[in-house]
Amino acid sequence: MALEPQPDPALPAGEPDEGFPAAPAGVDAEGHNPWYLAYRRLRRNRLALASLGLFGLIVVFALAAPLWAEHVAHTGPNTTHTTEKITVDGEKREVVDVEGKPIGPVWFGAGGKFFLGADGGLGRDEMVRLMYGGRTSLFIGLTSALITTILATILGLLAGYYKGWTDGIITRTLDVIWSFPVVLLGIALGTALAVGGLKIGPLELSGNSIWIPILIIAVVYTPYMARPIRGEVLAMREKEFVESAVAQGAGSLRIMFGELLPNLWSTVIVFFTLNIANNMLLEASLSFLGAGVQAPNSSWGKMVSLGTESIYTSPLLAFAPGVLILLTVLSLNVFGDGLRDALDPRSKVRLTRAEAAESAAGGAI
Amino acid sequence: MAIGLAACGSGSSSGKEGGTLNATFAGLPDYLDPGLSYTAEGWNAMGEVYIPLLTYKHAEGVEGSEVVPGLAKEMPKISDGGKTYTMQLRPGLKYSDGTAVKASDFTFAVERLFKVDSGGSPFYTDIVGAEKFAETKSGGIPGIEADDKTGEIVIHLVKPRGTFTNELGLMFVAPIPPDTPDTNQSTNPPPGTGPYIITKVDQSKGWDYERNPYWAKANAKAMPEYPSGHVDKINVSIIRNPSTQVNGIQQGKFDWMQTQPPPDRYAEIRSKYEGTQFRPQPTISTYYFWMNTNRPPFDDVKVRQAVNYAVDPAALERIYTGSLKGNQQILPPGMPGYEKLDLYPHNLAKAKAMIKEADPADMNITVWGDSEAENEAAVTYYQDVLTQLGFNATLKIVNPDNYFTVIGNQTTPDLDTGWSDWFQDYPHPNDFFQPLLSGESILPTNNGNFAEIDNPKLNKEISRLGEEQLGPEQEKAYAALDREYMEEAPWAPYGTRTLSTFVSSAINLDNVIFNATFGQYLTSFEFK
Repeated sequence: MALEPQPDPALPAGEPDEGFPAAPAGVDAEGHNPWYLAYRRLRRNRLALASLGLFGLIVVFALAAPLWAEHVAHTGPNTTHTTEKITVDGEKREVVDVEGKPIGPVWFGAGGKFFLGADGGLGRDEMVRLMYGGRTSLFIGLTSALITTILATILGLLAGYYKGWTDGIITRTLDVIWSFPVVLLGIALGTALAVGGLKIGPLELSGNSIWIPILIIAVVYTPYMARPIRGEVLAMREKEFVESAVAQGAGSLRIMFGELLPNLWSTVIVFFTLNIANNMLLEASLSFLGAGVQAPNSSWGKMVSLGTESIYTSPLLAFAPGVLILLTVLSLNVFGDGLRDALDPRSKVRLTRAEAAESAAGGAI
Repeated sequence: MAIGLAACGSGSSSGKEGGTLNATFAGLPDYLDPGLSYTAEGWNAMGEVYIPLLTYKHAEGVEGSEVVPGLAKEMPKISDGGKTYTMQLRPGLKYSDGTAVKASDFTFAVERLFKVDSGGSPFYTDIVGAEKFAETKSGGIPGIEADDKTGEIVIHLVKPRGTFTNELGLMFVAPIPPDTPDTNQSTNPPPGTGPYIITKVDQSKGWDYERNPYWAKANAKAMPEYPSGHVDKINVSIIRNPSTQVNGIQQGKFDWMQTQPPPDRYAEIRSKYEGTQFRPQPTISTYYFWMNTNRPPFDDVKVRQAVNYAVDPAALERIYTGSLKGNQQILPPGMPGYEKLDLYPHNLAKAKAMIKEADPADMNITVWGDSEAENEAAVTYYQDVLTQLGFNATLKIVNPDNYFTVIGNQTTPDLDTGWSDWFQDYPHPNDFFQPLLSGESILPTNNGNFAEIDNPKLNKEISRLGEEQLGPEQEKAYAALDREYMEEAPWAPYGTRTLSTFVSSAINLDNVIFNATFGQYLTSFEFK
């Protein structure tokens, strides 16, 4: 991944970038606000748009889970069918045979039931689980990314603006989290909380609550986003517009959220997008290792984990959720890159994200 | 609890002597120290290295559950109403380092159990003075009199103990040299009396065996009925991934895998190799779902019976990919006292009606299971069954390493119901009732009676039978006890596990003996 800011690759050579003031004579570019300019730039990035489209399709696939379950498959994601028989193209077949081998994909042979076959000895409908698993994975990815973003933005703003001991406490605390490899910290928290659940004041979560992986993932990735934001705030608070706000008598909160935050938006939005992908990957790793989503709920990571147990006899069970993880993460990353290029062609986000990805990879087993 | 295995089909020897057996285990056993090991792997690894005074017959199936003389000349004389056991050590026995085996080495082995806090020590606390020795760890155990000159060993018990001959046949009390340190000797196992010795232990790679140099010279003559083994050397490699082990066997790199083939490949192996290289081995084990009889809704016997009707062993047989045989009672087939009961034929509609009638107030339950592949699937199935019965069942999956610690600790919240299994320690029905269902076994930590059933009448029957020697009359009584417990339904048992023997094409499968207590005997491996 490139470390230097590069010209937007999506733009045809020789064509001026609307983000720069070098507009052809006679065209007034000053009237456009930066969001509009970014939108125009993004619109030209076909790859990014295709990725967004793909991600949209995946979201629709996951959202359609209850519809498919109720109207096509006629079963829930956790309902077992071990000893049942179904009629496939007029022929009676066992969902799970006596040796425990599940039925493979029957497509529409049974009217949509067991479209992708059953998921192992339990005989649950793989397609239904895949769709519901997608809901879980996407929900965890999105929600935890949202929490990470909010936490990181607030912490980054406070640390960068106040400096001094506030910065010291926040940065050191984040360093402690940072010092653990992401996956290792996730597993440690996940296994500890899976049994006892979590109790902080009025907040009480049972061990198999989906909010436990969400919070874990949100917390472990916060430093990776908060530090670059803090850096940007540190640089920005010395700028003239902050000085002028101070001169006008603006309070700290007003400066942070009224002056600094709007200037951070592009960074935050790009980070958020890329963070969803990272979080989904971490969720998959944690669930694969048994420290994420707890049975009987499905998520794609959990399904890959279950699928590997029957990789010899039914490889599709690990392959299908694996491909969906791949596509989702890929689409978000490509779209995130495009978004970054569009919002701020000279951004350094690329550098920091590469670092974050490197650290995350370093934490993988 | 040990994994014990019963077996079938023995052939006559027609193979060749000698050679090196390349075996593979999934890991180092818990201990390679006869006083400490309490797992199937450990007993499998050391069964032919350390011979106790009594042992189990080198035979298969029910025959293999017979206790026979080991280092003792004959079976103990039991006197004083079942409280005194008298045995005679065979003359001329030697350890693998050449020193003579003395009667007092037995006393040493028992005392060492208490000094090292062995998991096996509770089997021997009924010996007079053992309880006190367990606390003070000094002064000896007065209940054992050993005469080194005559080789006579007399054991006095505080009360009759019907399982004691079985317990004398466990490796925990196999004589070892009295200079063995009172610490874990797994890296340097002490000299033994069996046909093989462990020569080298590498914690990460594996361990090796050779023939005991004093076996042919001394012990084989002193105990001619004990098999001497065929191969000269055994090299055990640690291969964590069972699928890699399977590949190794198929390619002839390994001759025997102690580990079970992975469920995913079980069907393939069975269809390709059954009878030539593969043999399913029924075990004396019970897999069950326990229901906490102390907490609603399972304090109502109707609810517990309904669950028994709802759980379908046929489904669980599939979930265990053919390596489990349905069985809905406490005692498994192969255990003395087993009489087939058919109290709860699968009937979900009836179960639902019973729940409706019982109308439990508390429908929110937590279901516990471990994350070992098939067990997790089993408890997931169970959770679905409970959901179908109308319960709001939440699943809690715990890592297998600390599963029993978690569910055996009464401070753990929401211990409503869950999965468990039990493999016999030795083939005696008391080994199922006493540790798992007697009121005495309900403990604040390391609890074994997960159902917390404490029925005074049945407790009394367990203690009464526990003091008697096992005979046809006692077996009948155990069968009756099985029925009474199943009517109380603290468990929903669903099956007994089938393990397997899988060897390379170079090994004579017919001669491999699988014992209920010690697994495959190393002396029974023979090249074709």
